Amino acid sequence: MTGMRGLSVFISDIRNCQNKEAERLRVDKELGNIRTCFKNEKVLTPYKKKKYVWKMLYIHMLGYDVDFGHMEAVSLISAPKYPEKQVGYIVTSCLLNENNDFLKLAINTVRNDIIGRNETFQCLALTLVGNIGGRDFSESLAPDVQKLLISSSCRPLVRKKAALCLLRLFRKNPDAVNVDGWADRMAQLLDERDIGVLTSSTSLLVALVSNNHEAYSSCLPKCVKILERLSRNQDVPQEYTYYGIPSPWLQVKAMRALQYFPTIEDPSTRKALFEVLQRILMGTDVVKNVNKNNASHAVLFEALSLVMHLDAEKEMMSQCVALLGKFISVREPNIRYLGLENMTRMLMITDVQDIIKKHQSQIITSLKDPDISIRRRALDLLYGMCDVSNAKDIVEELLQYLSTAEFSMREELSLKAAILAEKFAPDLSWYVDVILQLIDKAGDFVSDDIWFRVVQFVTNNEDLQPYAASKAREYLDKIAIHETMVKVSAYILGEYGHLLARQPGCSASELFNILHEKLPTVSTPTIPILLSTYAKLLMHTQPPDPELQKKIWAVFKKYESCIDVEIQQRAVEYFELSKKGAAFMDVLAEMPKFPERQSSLIKKAEDVEDTADQSAIKLRAQQQPSNALVLAEPQPVNGAPSPLKVPIVSGSTQDPDSVARSLSQPNGTIGNIDPQIPSPDLLSDLLGPLAIEAAPEAVSTDQHGPIGAEGVPEEVDGSAIVPVEEQTNSTELIGNIAERFHALCLKDSGVLYEDSHVQIGIKAEWRGHHGRLVLFMGNKNTSPLTSVQALILPPAHLKLDLSPVPDTIPPRAQVQSPLEVMNIRPSRDVAVLDFSYKFGTNMVNAKLRIPATLNKFLQPLQLTSEEFFPQWRALSGPPLKLQEVVRGVRPLALPEMANLFNSFHVTVCPGLDPNPNNLVASTTFYSESTGAMLCLARIETDPADRTQLRMTVGSGDPSLTFELKEFIKEQLITIPMGSRAIVPAAGSGPAQPVAQPPSPATLADDPGALLAGLL
Amino acid sequence: METPRIDIWYGIAEIMDFGYPQNLSPEILKLYITQEGVRSPFSSKPKDKPVPNATLQVTGAVGWRREGLAYKKNEVFLDIVESVNLLMSSKGNVLRCDVTGKVLMKCFLSGMPDLKLGLNDKIGLEKESEMKSRPAKSGKTIELDDVTFHQCVNLTRFNSEKTVSFVPPDGEFELMKYRITEGVNLPFRVLPTIKELGRTRMEVNVKVKSVFGAKMFALGVVVKIPVPKQTAKTNFQVTTGRAKYNPSIDCLVWKIRKFPGQTESTLSAEIELISTMGEKKSWTRPPIQMEFQVPMFTASGLRVRFLKVWEKSGYNTVEWVRYITKAGSYEIRC
Repeated sequence: MTGMRGLSVFISDIRNCQNKEAERLRVDKELGNIRTCFKNEKVLTPYKKKKYVWKMLYIHMLGYDVDFGHMEAVSLISAPKYPEKQVGYIVTSCLLNENNDFLKLAINTVRNDIIGRNETFQCLALTLVGNIGGRDFSESLAPDVQKLLISSSCRPLVRKKAALCLLRLFRKNPDAVNVDGWADRMAQLLDERDIGVLTSSTSLLVALVSNNHEAYSSCLPKCVKILERLSRNQDVPQEYTYYGIPSPWLQVKAMRALQYFPTIEDPSTRKALFEVLQRILMGTDVVKNVNKNNASHAVLFEALSLVMHLDAEKEMMSQCVALLGKFISVREPNIRYLGLENMTRMLMITDVQDIIKKHQSQIITSLKDPDISIRRRALDLLYGMCDVSNAKDIVEELLQYLSTAEFSMREELSLKAAILAEKFAPDLSWYVDVILQLIDKAGDFVSDDIWFRVVQFVTNNEDLQPYAASKAREYLDKIAIHETMVKVSAYILGEYGHLLARQPGCSASELFNILHEKLPTVSTPTIPILLSTYAKLLMHTQPPDPELQKKIWAVFKKYESCIDVEIQQRAVEYFELSKKGAAFMDVLAEMPKFPERQSSLIKKAEDVEDTADQSAIKLRAQQQPSNALVLAEPQPVNGAPSPLKVPIVSGSTQDPDSVARSLSQPNGTIGNIDPQIPSPDLLSDLLGPLAIEAAPEAVSTDQHGPIGAEGVPEEVDGSAIVPVEEQTNSTELIGNIAERFHALCLKDSGVLYEDSHVQIGIKAEWRGHHGRLVLFMGNKNTSPLTSVQALILPPAHLKLDLSPVPDTIPPRAQVQSPLEVMNIRPSRDVAVLDFSYKFGTNMVNAKLRIPATLNKFLQPLQLTSEEFFPQWRALSGPPLKLQEVVRGVRPLALPEMANLFNSFHVTVCPGLDPNPNNLVASTTFYSESTGAMLCLARIETDPADRTQLRMTVGSGDPSLTFELKEFIKEQLITIPMGSRAIVPAAGSGPAQPVAQPPSPATLADDPGALLAGLL
Repeated sequence: METPRIDIWYGIAEIMDFGYPQNLSPEILKLYITQEGVRSPFSSKPKDKPVPNATLQVTGAVGWRREGLAYKKNEVFLDIVESVNLLMSSKGNVLRCDVTGKVLMKCFLSGMPDLKLGLNDKIGLEKESEMKSRPAKSGKTIELDDVTFHQCVNLTRFNSEKTVSFVPPDGEFELMKYRITEGVNLPFRVLPTIKELGRTRMEVNVKVKSVFGAKMFALGVVVKIPVPKQTAKTNFQVTTGRAKYNPSIDCLVWKIRKFPGQTESTLSAEIELISTMGEKKSWTRPPIQMEFQVPMFTASGLRVRFLKVWEKSGYNTVEWVRYITKAGSYEIRC
């Protein structure tokens, strides 16, 4: 570069510029100069070209846009002399990116340099390709680079670069490296003596193995050997040791590569590796020097993840944890952070939790660290390591910490505390205590879900009620309490305040006074709750207290003209109701128990997830055997949740009295009192009642006869739940599986399978090409079903994802298991559920077709003639439009056929076809490959012979057209029994159109539909 | 540093007493600086000048002028400086045009003279003809907008008689400022044609015409013709002056030192562009800019009709009047 005066003058000019503006002027001037020179090709000597290209690079490095002269730079690559070639390579790799067309011009020159004899040129070329090589390069250069890499005549310098270059080419195009031939060579490469080449090759190996670990299994022992060489034999030249650590980079890479292999089969290799790991774990400590620490810890953490990956023996795990425990007690915050983070990762391994617990106090200390990221990690770790044994300590610690924590963390903190308290509560009163404390200390950060949950708990557990009420009363004595606390205590006192009546200071009028004091301080949404509480207090005062009544009526009167509709309505209604005397009692009866549902808090916690990739919540979710919800038999008194199970929530759904009472309440009033029923999760609200409430309904019908409003037909098959006495060991199939399947093809919920022990209900929601099914597996017996297994055998066109089903279904409980469906391409095949369980000694197995059929991915679409005909004409002939004459069709009247079409979401568009004997229909099909696609169909019937018809189906996708045509044909020839059964069962004439596909809402409480499913 | 600071405080106290603006004239404020600066021992000995009584002057009727000034030769210099702002479309339509002008004076007059300035502005002339009860002379009258005067101008007399009469401060000051939006005489017309021939060639043709009197001439004319950023090579032909390509401002700069009135001059240039990597961004064609100075020409047409000096002693005065027009932002779109 010496001797280029123009360049050095330019650089010194730039350096002497006083300000940015002067620099810009100078650069623009120079660019003008370069442009002029490049344009005068006659006078452009190689020297000048080189000089100006250097200047361009300098200007580019200063941050200015250089959008010309790339041609000159690329042309320099082919220069014969080193100085020109060098600048050509350097500037090309700086200015151009892999997508640039100019690079294609250079491929050949670069190749010549790579296969050439000149080492320097080889290095230049390899570096360029390693930096900006794209797909084109990888297609034409990969073999040459491979040859260089394995050639024995090349110097390590070149081979090192070749390995990295090949890595780039592989990343750009995985086909560049042929698996068959290369695996052996790769193994040979790992025998290399030179550490530099070895490091580069290991990088390459990591990439290759991440793609396909099986092919490279021969490299596994080699990696272990490398580790042995480095860590045990310390067989490393001086220049590759870093602060006394033998090439930490190579160690880390080798261990990373090992993590891509699932297990290590060979016992001797495994032993050798564990010896190495042991050595690393033993040999690492915290030292003064930062660089040394960084290097040795990088090796250590990689070793830790390898240990976790390999599921090492317990001693080694405990050694790891002990080491991490040392880390988290160090002063240096970075190390502490890493220690905490890795400990959180360690939680994945179940049997180390006990060891981690030993460090609990240290972790709790970290919660008070001045560094927020450490505090967050500590919180995550605490959350992750919490279980029944230490929940009490941890939650109390969190509560204490809550009052000092900074605001940004409080919400997360309170949520986590609430979840832990709920999950691991040793007894329920403790749970109530914790949540009330939480609301008291951090009311602003307690979301509504948390107090909804506490109300649910209290409502569902009778022996908790007096305790909760007295607690709530205690909190009310405080001078300033949070609004959420007002809400929750008002609710609880309204419901259960009367249970305290004998305690001092808890008479209805006293309760009213203390609650009414809070009224002026609360916001609008709380006032309705207070009004309900007043009404309930009034109702519970027996004998009536005229003074209290006067006061409460005054309040109702006052709010009768409130601007808020909700408040006004309640005030008016409660006032009127309270005059009714005895009826008032009925209307304001105690709130019925809540249907159990998965805690919405946990879902919320998953949303709130902080950015840390390995958060304890996720890990925990992975650990859990299932997120399916188990509803257990109500035994709140003695049935304390057993430890270490999926969140078992005790609750009652099968108390016939309470259900009957709740059903017998006039509909209108339910609506009035209901608004505070917490509904944290709409979905589970929708899903919850389906099968659970269907059962007690049936029971209650047996006992009380038909309930007028609900109109359940008397001939309801009571066998939905087998009476306890009738339990037998034999398994009898109830209903025809095929018919049930056909019925479910046309509607979205119903019973899929039933025998004398188990009932499987299904409920589906479809949106585009996605579907969400929920399987309800109900045990009808008083003894548990064991070895429950549900496997999905998906066809190629569907992607199904079934959440794991618990192994055991407790007696008389129901298990929900969501099933996610995604349609990839059109096909008529159906998925099969292989369901098996053991009852007593009997093994029962059933193969059930899952009603995720083609028509579920159709969405009705009504077209007008202006829309229809252009589309119809646009689809010209096969394969997009297919026609077929179908014979042997079951004779159907035209309106009936229209109903049939509508029922599988193919909308008949009346009036489009002038011939009254023809049907024209349209629909939209969704799948991942086709997206939303319009489908059109036309059926021409022969009024003389109803058993034959001509059908034309068209869509934008040939396979879709074919599949849809075949599907319709199937439907027309073998009309499913279920769909025909609907019509008479609904009690109307056969011609009554089922114009709208039944919506899930109507189905859920339409007994007719349920009945049809049973038939 | 200590002494000047005290002076600065003192000065600020005079200017803004209790936060109210009191005395903003620098000439008077100078009188308050009684301190002497740091002098080097080698400089000449300070002259003993009489310390004038600042208070008297401030409280007197003529706050801006000291009494007892005496000059051997009584002279008044009056400059009218105008700058023309123009934006013209490529077709030659005037999109925006105005002139901002200043009347600058420099007085070396003894005693307390009273001056009266007459311009060919509309209101002044109308008022005059009304008072003299004779029809206004046919001739060009100028309508001035936004006139602002120096504080020495007697506004009551301006309101009643529409004449600018004043007792001038000593030395240099700006007597008035004005703006004109109508009837502007543009000194130059520019006719540009710029053709893009394909991706790498351009042809530029610019004709500049001077439209002021033939006897006058413009000085320091600079025409800046913008060209695209990727300009590589330029070839010029000019009838007068010199042109070159300046890459740091992406312009062809054409300089003509002296441009006589009623003449025209052309530049034609061929430009070669270099091909670029980035997708071709269409060139935005910024406007052509022009700089010039035309002495003895006013774009507004404003003239001094008279400048009368009256003083008790009745000495003779010499009055010098100059006109000059400069380019403000003189832009022609192309």
